[in-house]
Amino acid sequence: MDRIVEFHDVVKRFGQTMAVGGVTFSVASGETVSLLGPSGCGKTTTLRLISGFEEPDEGTIRIAGESMKGKRPYERNVGLLFQHYALFPHMTVAENIGYGLKYRGWPKAEIPARVAEMLRLVQLQGFEPRRPPTMSGGQQQRVALARVLATSPKLVLLDEPLSALDAKLREELRLELKQILSAVGSTTIVVTHDQDEAMSLADRIIVMNRGCIEQEGTPDEIYAEPRTSFVAGFIGRANWFCGRLGKGPDGAFVTLTTEAGSTLRMRAPQKIDDGKWRACVRPERMILTRPDAKSDGRSDNLVSGNLVDIVSLGGEIHYVVEGADGRLLAVEPNRGGPRVNKGERVGLSFQPEDCVAFPLAEA
Amino acid sequence: MKRAPSLFFYLPAGLVFSVFFWLPLAGLLLESFRPFTPGRVGAVTDAPLTLANYEELLTPSFLEFFTQTLRISLFASLVGLVFSFTLAYWITRRMSPRGRAIAIGFFVSLMFLSVLVRTYALELTFGAAGPFRAMLLSVGIYPNSRGYIEILVAAGLLHYIVPLATLTLLTTIQNVDPRLFDAAQTLGAPGWRAHLSITLPLSRDGLLAAFLFSFAFSISAFVIPMILGKGRVLFVSNLIYNRFSEIADFPSGAAISVVLFAVSITIVYVTTRYVNRREAV
Repeated sequence: MDRIVEFHDVVKRFGQTMAVGGVTFSVASGETVSLLGPSGCGKTTTLRLISGFEEPDEGTIRIAGESMKGKRPYERNVGLLFQHYALFPHMTVAENIGYGLKYRGWPKAEIPARVAEMLRLVQLQGFEPRRPPTMSGGQQQRVALARVLATSPKLVLLDEPLSALDAKLREELRLELKQILSAVGSTTIVVTHDQDEAMSLADRIIVMNRGCIEQEGTPDEIYAEPRTSFVAGFIGRANWFCGRLGKGPDGAFVTLTTEAGSTLRMRAPQKIDDGKWRACVRPERMILTRPDAKSDGRSDNLVSGNLVDIVSLGGEIHYVVEGADGRLLAVEPNRGGPRVNKGERVGLSFQPEDCVAFPLAEA
Repeated sequence: MKRAPSLFFYLPAGLVFSVFFWLPLAGLLLESFRPFTPGRVGAVTDAPLTLANYEELLTPSFLEFFTQTLRISLFASLVGLVFSFTLAYWITRRMSPRGRAIAIGFFVSLMFLSVLVRTYALELTFGAAGPFRAMLLSVGIYPNSRGYIEILVAAGLLHYIVPLATLTLLTTIQNVDPRLFDAAQTLGAPGWRAHLSITLPLSRDGLLAAFLFSFAFSISAFVIPMILGKGRVLFVSNLIYNRFSEIADFPSGAAISVVLFAVSITIVYVTTRYVNRREAV
């Protein structure tokens, strides 16, 4: 497959701060990749490096096989969808969408037809004469998308594309955005701190932290097989157990003896040491049971505690359990209200396959 | 209290304004229609009204004062606007906060420097007796030629226009979202074309305000053309002064003042209308 973007050992410093510390990745043609991380993780700098607003201190960036060294933003055919749309307020919708066409050398006569085509794509037919300030946030976002896609850029960058919209609109537009992007077959990089945005839009996620890549993989891989405790903690919710590892009865599993004295079985990490470890279990993998539930032949892990809170979110119910190992969260789908009463003593069982251990020093 | 403040609160300012602005202006207007009595300071009270003072202004030698004033003022204002816009852009977008504070302080303190001091400094340096005399002559520029003096007067005006317009434009440029410029670049517009199509149109109101400030200051300038013009370049204000003080022709001086006032208001009105009309389309 053609590689549209290639980052090779890219370093960018601002004074003493290392914003991007030796990042290598590539994006294939037609692929949608998300750069996901907390603020300050280097994702925005990466975006600015791709679009040409910053030059790397070390390493090379290639777009469609061509080195971007010394190329100004207007010399790269990279479309950037700004977080707050950045529509030109003194121009009409048609002039906004036509702006890039004009500067990318489209024949003047063909511009109106292309503008109409783009407006059809984002379902805003007939909006040509409107001015952006008179339009809603969702409409402005679509115009901005149409403006970016009009020139058929080699690469489309989306900077926190939906964060400026309210929750309901965000959901709608997310689906639409995905459809539009796949309809035009563009290669896309979504820069975001919102894991829902990343998971729903991207074929592949690159998790960044402190200027480096923590993990690359499909949304499912990242969620189910986090490689570092940072990834485990950043993507989705997690319950944590701290303790020391010991050899298990068979090679595939080890035991974690927590500080509170519970013994949990879990998947064996690649290498084991005597240091402190922490293990992560996803809340939806924890099953609420009776506190004395005997493991049914399968050696599931079992911890117990008091049910201190029940939060019903409509579609799912969150059970907050306070036990010897601290506060734990179990999430179950809502099938006719909570099964247990607040204040009761309950058990939480989960399978060893669903526990992933990380050395504590790393965090 | 949702009610608008009652008329009562506007009264003190209104009163002061009426007494010290409208009343003298009305007096001036009346005076401009009186016949001139040589040897007398001010027109005879109850003299019959006449348009003679205005008719006189239509003669080419008088019109020349107006065209000259307007031409040099327009030139200085437009040049000043170009300088100020680039300066203000540089200060807002390129300087550190500390550098910005120093630059703003510098421009503000410039305004405190007496116009006499600055004008004489210009005359000393670039005037007919200045150190550049030989150099100017060697490239064929005569320091006493009309063109050179006009440029010198414009330079004197720029001394005021640039700080004033720069300070006006600082907030204007601050209010233009820099991401719009970035967006224009990602859409393929090179830097200067992005500025022409984005930054400049979005600074329209500020540019208009800065232009009107500069122009109003220039056409009413008095000391600068008096010193730097050396009698060869005279502004309307100099003519008015001459009428009032040297030949004591109050009615004529009044008529010139009224015309200058009318011209200024017309220019402000037309410019504002024109710029706003273009926006509305």
